[in-house]
Amino acid sequence: MKKIFFPLAIAATILFSAFTVYTATTWKIAEGYSIKFTSDDPAGVFSSFKGDIAFDANDLGGSKFDVTIDVNSINMGNGMKNSKAKNENWFNAAKYPSIKFTSSKITKTATGYEAVGTLDMKGVQKPLTIPFTFANNTFTGSFSINRIDYGVGTDKGMDSHASSILKVDVSVPVTKG
Amino acid sequence: MKKTFLHGIISGLLASAAGIIYFNIYQNTLGTEFNKIVNIRSIAGVSIIACMLIALSYWVLEKFNKDKWKGILNVLIALLSFASIISPISMSLPFDIKNPELFPGLVIPMHFFPALAFFTLVPFFKDKK
Repeated sequence: MKKIFFPLAIAATILFSAFTVYTATTWKIAEGYSIKFTSDDPAGVFSSFKGDIAFDANDLGGSKFDVTIDVNSINMGNGMKNSKAKNENWFNAAKYPSIKFTSSKITKTATGYEAVGTLDMKGVQKPLTIPFTFANNTFTGSFSINRIDYGVGTDKGMDSHASSILKVDVSVPVTKG
Repeated sequence: MKKTFLHGIISGLLASAAGIIYFNIYQNTLGTEFNKIVNIRSIAGVSIIACMLIALSYWVLEKFNKDKWKGILNVLIALLSFASIISPISMSLPFDIKNPELFPGLVIPMHFFPALAFFTLVPFFKDKK
């Protein structure tokens, strides 16, 4: 009995330890995602988006978003507007080529979930909460940001014609990674 | 009337041909995909309508014996062609169309084709004195 006790104890320890390293399901971003921003003016899309997504509705503690948008992929439907958006006064794409969101906490809400984290845009880091839903292997979220908070353009002169508050709609289909 | 009509329709066809050739060369050379916005039918349609409008204006002047005003009309047509380039420069394309910065280069020259075709053919349709 003694001979079998220790091997069993070791096996049990390994087995139970496995639960402590359990991580939420990882997801790969699939084709067909959409990162759209709208306002009276401007409106457009970012067509390049990548990152790591770990999400499990039953393990929100282990879930995490770490995603990046390529600023140079901005498309507002007009070549001159695209060039202007990338210049120093706006996104300064040469110096800050990406916009990054890293979640620190994901919680359940009445309508879906909320990802609390940090948005890093044009070198400015600010806390941001993104409400989202997850259905049919697609994350869908909507939130607003104030571009002035991140130094993207100003609210003076010609810049004032562009809305300060932009609504961002995100739809990201995923496959199990 | 017949002569002016023929002048309009033939210059419209000429402008359409020039526009379609330019459209194909531009798209194939630069690998752009603007067919959703501009296509062969729209180029032909707009070119013929523009040339017929010019022809109609010419006919109105001839009808009222205001031949001397044709010079002013030509200047007006040239100015309108030039002013019309504001539209492709300022317009926003659907967001799924890539390289929108190449769109003005495709359509701006086409804005001058109807006037160019019409003025080119003027000597062939001049009244013999």
